[in-house]
Amino acid sequence: MSDPILLRARGLKNSRSLSTYCRLGGYSALEKALSMTPAEVIEEVKASGIRGRGGAGFPAGVKWGFVPRDTAKPKYMICNADESEPGTFKDRELIVVDPHMVLEGIALASYAIGANTAYIYIRGEFVDEAQILGKAIAEARRKKYLGEDMLGSGYDLDVHIHRGAGAYICGEETALIESIEGKRGLPRLKPPFPAVVGLFGCPTVVNNVETLACVPHILERGGAWFAGIGTERSTGPKLFCVSGHVERPGVYEAPMGITFRKIIEDLCGGMRGGRKLKAFIPGGSSAPVLPADLIDTAADFESVAQAGSMLGSGGLIVMDETVDMVWALENLLAFYAHESCGQCTPCREGSDWAVDIVRRIHRGQGRQGDIETLHRIARFASQGMTICPLGDAFCGPISSFLEHFGHEFEEAISKASSMTAKALPILPVQSDRELFGL
Amino acid sequence: MVTLTIDGREITVAEGTNLVEAAAAAGVEVPTYCYHPGLTVVGQCRICFVEVEGMPRLVTACSTPVQPEMVVLTASKRVREARAAVMEFLLENHPLDCPVCDQAGECGLQDYSVEHGLDSTHMVDERRTNPGRERHLIGPHVVQNQNRCIHCTRCIRFTTEISETADLTMKSRGNHSYIDTFDGRPFDNPWSACAADVCPVGALTVNEFRFRARVWHLEETRTICPGCSIGCNVSLGHLNGVVHRFVPRENAEVNGWWMCDYGRFLAEPLNDRTIDVPLERFGDGERRISWDSALAEVARWLREAPKPLVIASANMSNEALFAVRRNLVEGARMDVIVPVSEGETRRIKNGRGAWFSSNDAHPNSTGARHLGLAVADAANLESYLRDGTGPVLVLDAHAHPWLASEGAAAISADRQVAVLARYRTPLVDAASMVMPLASWAETDGTYTSSTGRVQLAHKALQPVGQARRAWEVVFHLALELGIEQERAVTPRILFAEMAAEVGAFSGMTWGRLMAEPGMPVHEEVVGVG
Repeated sequence: MSDPILLRARGLKNSRSLSTYCRLGGYSALEKALSMTPAEVIEEVKASGIRGRGGAGFPAGVKWGFVPRDTAKPKYMICNADESEPGTFKDRELIVVDPHMVLEGIALASYAIGANTAYIYIRGEFVDEAQILGKAIAEARRKKYLGEDMLGSGYDLDVHIHRGAGAYICGEETALIESIEGKRGLPRLKPPFPAVVGLFGCPTVVNNVETLACVPHILERGGAWFAGIGTERSTGPKLFCVSGHVERPGVYEAPMGITFRKIIEDLCGGMRGGRKLKAFIPGGSSAPVLPADLIDTAADFESVAQAGSMLGSGGLIVMDETVDMVWALENLLAFYAHESCGQCTPCREGSDWAVDIVRRIHRGQGRQGDIETLHRIARFASQGMTICPLGDAFCGPISSFLEHFGHEFEEAISKASSMTAKALPILPVQSDRELFGL
Repeated sequence: MVTLTIDGREITVAEGTNLVEAAAAAGVEVPTYCYHPGLTVVGQCRICFVEVEGMPRLVTACSTPVQPEMVVLTASKRVREARAAVMEFLLENHPLDCPVCDQAGECGLQDYSVEHGLDSTHMVDERRTNPGRERHLIGPHVVQNQNRCIHCTRCIRFTTEISETADLTMKSRGNHSYIDTFDGRPFDNPWSACAADVCPVGALTVNEFRFRARVWHLEETRTICPGCSIGCNVSLGHLNGVVHRFVPRENAEVNGWWMCDYGRFLAEPLNDRTIDVPLERFGDGERRISWDSALAEVARWLREAPKPLVIASANMSNEALFAVRRNLVEGARMDVIVPVSEGETRRIKNGRGAWFSSNDAHPNSTGARHLGLAVADAANLESYLRDGTGPVLVLDAHAHPWLASEGAAAISADRQVAVLARYRTPLVDAASMVMPLASWAETDGTYTSSTGRVQLAHKALQPVGQARRAWEVVFHLALELGIEQERAVTPRILFAEMAAEVGAFSGMTWGRLMAEPGMPVHEEVVGVG
């Protein structure tokens, strides 16, 4: 394994402090960038080929390029630290280990798009992390790395921390923007995209913490260096957060294109207790599940997509042979049903319906036709049927669990048929109870 | 202008038009729930999916503006499948209690599930219920049944964008979110019942109309609101001679899609009637007489008195006021006044987002002014009656609040007073002659709003009993007085005569008023009102 880049300070004493960060070469990229034009910064980032680490994998440099140059409106930079995808915990690690790397990334991105205000939208549960960032911002301001007239360049940047209130959907960039504006966190209709109409109606770029943490390294060592790491179309180092039935779960840094076998067997010390791998979810809980025989898939955007899933945020959830897949799907769906914002019909109704069905199957009351209904929900609540990708997020697991582990569902239903009454009794609803004095 | 093709029909519409409106212009209906032409577009119900050639995914018609050369399919297999799926999602937790739901008959879910839905459902699990929010009076006029809600947020957008009161909000999240008033306060704004109008399902219904009639039995008549001088366009729903409700009718220039609660609940009082035959005072009591005798008697008073007093009404149509002007003012040289009163200020937002307000409590005081009749406030009205001598003819006992007071009754103590009325007031009880007056719903007529717009209100019902309309009574009196000749008279004829004679109405025709959403009065007289 090569030397870690993003997690280079992990294990060092006082890794969070500005002095440690500067000792490791921190903020030199910012100094360098402030002498370049914003367009040059964007070109460098484009050359690196870095793709968004938040899940969608959209090229960051291209995203920055969408921001209109000649507008009288202020522009905003938002760092998305609302890491709420189950199985993902890389951004927290970055903030805890090296908050200044994130801040420098924010400063560089803001400079590139011409923003004088940046927000860090951090999930509400990250209490300590918000404090760490707050302290780091204060430190950086004192040393003129942030604030007015940064490093004597005449460029001003204010960084604000905005704490979320615990909604998964606020990790979606437009819902996040609504939340910062003080509204309910509901995703917006697109177009217009945030790069044109974003926060407070102004051009806005939203980037993931890990994406921004890569930017100082790209500026410091050049886009070509970054593009040399990983595969041709998925460049750079990537953080993988491994959870589940492995010996050593945690956050690991590896170049894109490493195989999942290497991550599980080499980095994480193999399966817990030497049990057999049954399935793994490669990119956070919304990514379709993959069966054990696809373990040699390379962890880059293209290979995982080819295998029928997505690299997403790099949250690798590992399940061993003891896992009941019906239970696992119920667990996942319960999360999405709880977190659906309730705005558009297919997701609001479909997510809750799906969890009802899977829960019933799991409790031994499955029925013939349930699997067809699940397929139907998965078909009509995804693929653009909803405003935001939360529809796809809960439909991906449904389809993939049924595709790879459908026999477990069928088995549960066939066992259940003998136990369940043919027709469920019709229970009076609560108000009727009151009405009829039942 | 942009030209595009929708279902094979070429259509040219203005730039920026969305596909729902463009399809409507091409004669194709795209189903909608969350979309309302008067509210912002949120694109969240997902029923309006259409297929656009060249786009990989279905698009929501409400949020997609037209593009040149666009080829739109609103009924392809993909679209029909997606719509059926959305219908199934919407009905998944819907109680399907149409037999006891007051929205039935004008419910979007009913209409579209027949047209676009599946025959059955795959749903076998327990449906979502909202205990305590099933028959929940959230304000003075609106009843909530959250079980029926499809979360389209039209009501919320109405309160934020139109009434600007932001009383309603969505609480909780996802499948368990529900509509509630902000902070739990009662949903009480001057337009609250419009939230029930915009609700496409039975989640919000108007308390006053609940269980009064099945809407498919109702006859709807295009009329205008009698509540103030703004003249909101409304539909009057009536059944078997009983008026049941007003609902706003679209007129972008006047009231958009809205009306205020005050005006809305003026519909039911139109049924109030205790006087349905002419009555003559007879000692301490009254006796029924025929219209002919009553009119002959009143004509005799008017003829004999040197200066009879006539009180018209700013609630009367232009045609009735024109008959008053021609027959009583110009023909018989009588001294006629039109009492007007100030009411509470009523406000309405039109379809372009502009507010109109009015504290003029009458629908046609502007018309009375344009016709050159003398308008009077309460003090003038009182001194007019007190200082004048001779018989009094009150053409509408409900024309002014002062006429309903005891003071008005006292003035008629020792003189001949003839009153046209619908129900009893102290003045009616003291009058020497009482004649039944037809209600607002019982006559055709035009009314001039305070912005100078002449609008037509259609007759919904035949007059009850022997009640006659004001223009009819004035004409019959004129016959008795020998001013008019026997001839056919209808509001339409009177209007044509008025348009020829009165500058404000020049160039207008009844036929155009029937077809157009009101016509502005002739420019020269705009300032008069």
